[in-house]
Amino acid sequence: MQTKKLYEGRGHTWYMFARDPERPQNIIDTNQYMVRAGKEAILLDPGGIELFPAMLAAIVHHIPAEHITHLFASHQDPDIISSLGLWDKTLPHAQLHAPWLWEGFLRHFGCNHIEYKAIPDEGQSLRLGGVELQFIPAHYLHSSGNFHVYDPVAKILMSGDVGAALLPEANTPLFVENFQEHTQYMRGFHQRWMPSNRAKDDWIRRVRTLDIEYLAPQHGSIFQGDDVKRFLDWFEALEVGTGVKGN
Amino acid sequence: MKPDDDEILLKISGFSVTAVTVAAQLSAVLSEARNISLEAMNARALVARAGDNVRTFRPITDYMIELASDTIRLVQEINHEALKLSRVALKRLDVAEAKRRFQHAQRLAQSASYLADMRPLVHQARQDELQQQRQLKHHLRQLTELLDEIELRMLAAHVVAATSRQEAATVEYTYKVGLEGIVNKLETAAERIRSIAHKSRSLLRNNQY
Repeated sequence: MQTKKLYEGRGHTWYMFARDPERPQNIIDTNQYMVRAGKEAILLDPGGIELFPAMLAAIVHHIPAEHITHLFASHQDPDIISSLGLWDKTLPHAQLHAPWLWEGFLRHFGCNHIEYKAIPDEGQSLRLGGVELQFIPAHYLHSSGNFHVYDPVAKILMSGDVGAALLPEANTPLFVENFQEHTQYMRGFHQRWMPSNRAKDDWIRRVRTLDIEYLAPQHGSIFQGDDVKRFLDWFEALEVGTGVKGN
Repeated sequence: MKPDDDEILLKISGFSVTAVTVAAQLSAVLSEARNISLEAMNARALVARAGDNVRTFRPITDYMIELASDTIRLVQEINHEALKLSRVALKRLDVAEAKRRFQHAQRLAQSASYLADMRPLVHQARQDELQQQRQLKHHLRQLTELLDEIELRMLAAHVVAATSRQEAATVEYTYKVGLEGIVNKLETAAERIRSIAHKSRSLLRNNQY
């Protein structure tokens, strides 16, 4: 598992965990993120059950496991959080922040000890050490109950499946290197997985008001600097919900 | 992962499927037990109608009714225990899977600064596995004992059926046919229960790991 420090400030650090070499070929590649602030840390979209050993091993290179006090699940998909049952054994005193809509569903993964902190539809903030993380609504992008995480100090938006790309095995850079070339790996994903143009436009309008240096999706490469604006423009022009063929 | 880990997990998984299958098979036994109860009631009604003509049959029907109610109680206990065993078997699979993943993480983290953090997790996973294994053995023993008991009861039912048949042969023809019909149904239900219990016991025995 590759680890990349995305941001290191006075009060907190962002890590990205990705490109697990042990990942079975038929499992979609995912990016996991961790924000550490003092003796507290939050795992953002900690990943599927198949990825759990590699994730836990990667984390204890940087912090003691008991410092992970929070988990965040942007939505209910198995590649996001099917490892929950194992985190529940590892971090029985942690809190899981996830959409209220999915509580009864996510508990199927096993959540006997971890406290489920339901995020209301309008979103909310979490203080981690001295840092404020904002859970930004991203409903219908793609899940009906969906949030992203924004850190105004690090200027990072963890954007879940928005900005995701299905990269070929031979070319998996951690950062977008050539935006135009990169769009070929995003187009089909966004058109099919994102169901609502209205939800997309609303999200873009809100996100444009944020100061973002890194737009960090759960699959593919991270957008940095001007590529963030390029992505928003590209996404705005894209027709989504193409799975429906009829009128 | 080591190949023997794979093999063990497959065996545990196989046993949990067996336990669930056995629970499903045994649920069918309850309706057979109710059939025994019904035939016992029919026998009692027939004996009451026949009066002195079938006097010797009365203690047999009383015994049939007692056997039927014991059988229903025992079958309910068996169903309950079989479901418990299937749940424990699935939990056993769950903890084995968790232990495998924690051990894998420990192997991957060999050079990590906080490798020591992994030890209590792996230790706890082993403890959970041992505890679930003990639970599984306990419930397996309970179920096997109950299955033994029901097989013995059904042997007793066969004896009752044989005695009843002999008694039925001595009564008036009008009642003889009715009583023989009841005895046949009793015997069929008892045989079905015995056969399912026997099959379940064999399945559990042959799939232990």
